[in-house]
Amino acid sequence: MGSHLYLLLTLAFYAVGALHVVVHAFTRRRLLTTWPVTATLAGFAFHTASLSQRWTEAGHFPAVGLRDGTALMAWTIVLVFLATYVRTRVEALGLAVYPAAFGLVLVANFAPAPEIGGAILKSMFLPIHATLAFLGYASLFLAFTMGLLYLFQERDLKSRSPRRFYYLGPSLERCDTLGGASVAVGFGFLTLAIVTGFLWSHASKGRYWTSDAKEWSALTAWVIYVVLLAARLRDGWGGRRAALLGIAGFTAVAFTFLWMTIFAAGAARASVGVP
Amino acid sequence: MIVVVGLSHKTSTLELREALAFDKDRLAEALLRMRQDAGANEAMILSTCNRVELYAQAEDGGTERVARFLAGYHGRRVEDLEAAVYRLGGAEAVRHAFRVAASLDSMVLGEPQILGQVKDAYQAAEKSGTLGGSLNALRNRSLAAAKRARSETGIGHNAVSVSYVAVELARKIFGQLRDKNVLLVGTGKMSALAARHLVQNGARAAVVGVRTMDRAHELAAALGGRAVPFASLREELATADIVISGTGAPGVVITREDVEAARARGGRGKRPLFLIDIAVPRDIQASVAEVQGVFLYDLDDLKSVADANLRERRKEAAAAEAIVEREVREFLDWQRSLDVVPLLVDLRKRAEDIRKAEIDKARPRLGPLSAEQEAALEAASSAIVNKLLHAPTVQIKELARNGHSLEQVGFIRKLLGL
Repeated sequence: MGSHLYLLLTLAFYAVGALHVVVHAFTRRRLLTTWPVTATLAGFAFHTASLSQRWTEAGHFPAVGLRDGTALMAWTIVLVFLATYVRTRVEALGLAVYPAAFGLVLVANFAPAPEIGGAILKSMFLPIHATLAFLGYASLFLAFTMGLLYLFQERDLKSRSPRRFYYLGPSLERCDTLGGASVAVGFGFLTLAIVTGFLWSHASKGRYWTSDAKEWSALTAWVIYVVLLAARLRDGWGGRRAALLGIAGFTAVAFTFLWMTIFAAGAARASVGVP
Repeated sequence: MIVVVGLSHKTSTLELREALAFDKDRLAEALLRMRQDAGANEAMILSTCNRVELYAQAEDGGTERVARFLAGYHGRRVEDLEAAVYRLGGAEAVRHAFRVAASLDSMVLGEPQILGQVKDAYQAAEKSGTLGGSLNALRNRSLAAAKRARSETGIGHNAVSVSYVAVELARKIFGQLRDKNVLLVGTGKMSALAARHLVQNGARAAVVGVRTMDRAHELAAALGGRAVPFASLREELATADIVISGTGAPGVVITREDVEAARARGGRGKRPLFLIDIAVPRDIQASVAEVQGVFLYDLDDLKSVADANLRERRKEAAAAEAIVEREVREFLDWQRSLDVVPLLVDLRKRAEDIRKAEIDKARPRLGPLSAEQEAALEAASSAIVNKLLHAPTVQIKELARNGHSLEQVGFIRKLLGL
């Protein structure tokens, strides 16, 4: 089977999970019962098969361009989610992860396969840099989710009228600590990704810094997270301000990712002289 | 037939229920008297503040006799209790028993105590020797159904009493309550109750004496905490995570400045502070709610959360009712199938007797047989009997399940010459 067929099966399974979570969120029933978790595991298996097929088909690590970028992003998010869920059992993560995984794989299914190639994609830096970056993005996405959950729940608790999130979310404390931990992990990966990015840039273009938009946004995100982590560690920051800063940081991360997947293919094309 | 006779919060006043309640210490004697006076085969009495119900296994007319016993035991005339006392028999009684155990008939939907009370009632009956096969089966099936309803639906989720709501909110904010500091201002009953729940979950308590220190010392001792004088309220605020204020003071006891100062001083400006004001008039200035990281709930707020939670439970009730209804059906099917068990036993015995007799009669004429041939003869004759009986057995069971049994069991007996 080709990677695309596997991806289509992945989409179907992720759709089951996403639908389940959304319906249960509205009816305020338990989010992650056996069904959605099983569907996700099945989807994840096909997803893994699809990526490995795709790697062979493309001849380079499938992380570049809209189609491969979104597919790999979804895979990493699900991977990081599963790892987190096994440890913490925070079901509310599914609220963001399932629809995100579904949405990204949906895009991947309908995006055209990129017609790019060239020496730059054969570089050993691509798998290393991309893996680190995507693991970072996924962790920071979870932190972003916990931040949103924190803010929604805080709003409910402050207004003294329990609404949807009051019944679905974990405690504020849990949102805060899990958000903090995810930021710490994500920041580690992001830092390594930026360093390998510099090295790759130097190896391929002879310059560490090319003033590309994605470099600026990655650096912005990195600075925001440095401030956030410093404030958390030194001043015992937490709660609302940490959540807001985490959301700001993730906005920069999301921009970096989108820039990468939508425009970088073009940039790469230009750099290797393909029209 | 299983019968249930009784009164509940739905049909009677608390006063009447109190008058008709059964004393726990005299329950054993009451059970024996009930069995005798009401002519019941089995008896069980469930007496709580929200219901007084008598369960029995009795012949026809049992409901009336049980009702007379209930009135007579308390020196009343049954006619005077007509409006309050319901009499249920058969399927209705079974359904009621299941719904009661599942807390679907409770005043506070889904409240957990009833399950324990029902268990205790059956246990008391068991000890007194008034529990037999029917009520015991009812016990097993109804308690299992209740547990299923509770674990598979949300009828027991979300607190619906004010003090539990306070605890649940504290959990929602802090997650773990271990080592959280609870500050009680005033020693009212409700604050003591909420504080006890918090302490049970690992929180530490400090009690501020408002007018006198006596009560504060007493309550602090009960909660395993400290008693502190009113003068140090502001200092204590700096280290508190949860404050429960319920003084009888006419004015504000904790102002916005107090809270802001405490949060600045505590060096813990980022940790949340949960303030519960259960005093009327209120103890805590309302604008405290605007302070960053502070959650302020007064009595009305807690009640509205409780109401919202109860609405959530009501939504779950339909699912719980469905589970209970399925279990009730299964129980009734099983019960009806019991009606035909003697018939099936007789039928099988009769057939087996005939088979044995005929084999014994023919056996001498067959001469010596090998062990193999003996076995074949047994197997062939048994197979004939089994095959002939298979269809009638299935049909009789089916008949029983559809609830036509009693009159038809007699007809079948006659038909088969049993």
